[in-house]
Amino acid sequence: MTSKPLVAVLQFPGSNCEYETASVVRGSGMDAAIFRWNQWKELSDSAPDAFILPGGFSFQDRVRAGAVAAKEEIMDLVFNSAQSGKPVLGICNGAQILVESGLVPGWENGRIESALAANHIHGRSGYLSRWVFLRAGKRALRVSPWLRMIGSNAIPVPIAHAEGRFVFAEKDNQRVSECVALTYCDENGVETADYPVNPNGSFMNLAGIMNKEGNVLAMMPHPERAFWMWQIPPWIPGVWGDRRTSLNHDPALAASKGPGALFFRSLADYFIIP
Amino acid sequence: MIEVSIAVRLKAPDPAAMTALSTLKRINPDTCPGRLERYDYWQFINPSDGKRTVEKIVSHFHDIVNPNKQYWSFSDESGSILSGNEELVWTEVLVTDKVDSISENWTDILRRNKYEVEKVMYSVLWRLGYPSGTSMAEARERTLALTITSYRDHGLLANPISQNIHLLDQA
Repeated sequence: MTSKPLVAVLQFPGSNCEYETASVVRGSGMDAAIFRWNQWKELSDSAPDAFILPGGFSFQDRVRAGAVAAKEEIMDLVFNSAQSGKPVLGICNGAQILVESGLVPGWENGRIESALAANHIHGRSGYLSRWVFLRAGKRALRVSPWLRMIGSNAIPVPIAHAEGRFVFAEKDNQRVSECVALTYCDENGVETADYPVNPNGSFMNLAGIMNKEGNVLAMMPHPERAFWMWQIPPWIPGVWGDRRTSLNHDPALAASKGPGALFFRSLADYFIIP
Repeated sequence: MIEVSIAVRLKAPDPAAMTALSTLKRINPDTCPGRLERYDYWQFINPSDGKRTVEKIVSHFHDIVNPNKQYWSFSDESGSILSGNEELVWTEVLVTDKVDSISENWTDILRRNKYEVEKVMYSVLWRLGYPSGTSMAEARERTLALTITSYRDHGLLANPISQNIHLLDQA
């Protein structure tokens, strides 16, 4: 590939993370362009190499988070591109749109097989905005273009959502391990199904799921908000917090990349060596 | 068991209902209803003094009914906000989260505030109005198809993975 790969960032009415998402894509050595939900032709003509559905509140979360955006005509293009193998990432509300589109887990294409239900764990419910730790599933590290550089260690990334609890039909629960992309864990990479490690009661501690091919990833945490080291709080336990602390008062802090950059560097690397 | 139910709706046109209707018109134009209405639907189980207890709750908690912007009525009374426009064939469907933190939280709040109610259940009530001449059987069949989101281009109002869907017996 001679020119930079183009990543399309889709903006629905109510999206609110499109500009920072496009910015971190560019900061990872790729081109990014924001397309509004009604720019079907422009998006089609530009033939992007990958798609990102950013966070926010598409259509004001009317009816159900992500439900209305999933029915928009522009999602036909995303759906078909995903079927042809192009990488697609949904972050937070973007993940809700992918779930409502039937793109993940995608056991049967287009069938709605999961939901992102309201947070609910041990009597806790409501909107959550906090830092969590994630780790990638073993298969996901191999097959997902978004995760190949994540490595096996836990990484800190923030969440901000009220409906982030992955649930599946009971008959499908045995199949969920096929689509595990990211799970909540502590700073040592240990998973537990208790708050606060699992912040929202998500089934199997899931923070992100992918389709069986791995090119479509729906994740609730916001990697674009952990792209730069200055975005990482120094109090975060583990190696990323230590690195952040060591950069206090260091001019290098402004240009140092954080753990969220790994997702976008993975994609840039994928375009060099698919 | 005594159950007292109330329906609550915005005084202004409901934006969620308008968006849902325009989306349904686009994805299911042949089966879409002519009218779509959305209500908050609260069921109070075993209130100690029946409707009087519920009236006290409604007047005290403006998070349930904000009188500045919402109407409410008991769902079983003639002249309720659920009646009207008899020219259409109406169906009603209740959508309830399977794990429902709103209901849990309100049950706790009412207990802590000494209201004698065994349980509160919150749902969204959708009313779908079809042109006269549509048989009730067909209207109910269409309503279920439009409610249950089974595929990306089939259904909208509920995700059956996380929500219970209950088509009410008669509108």
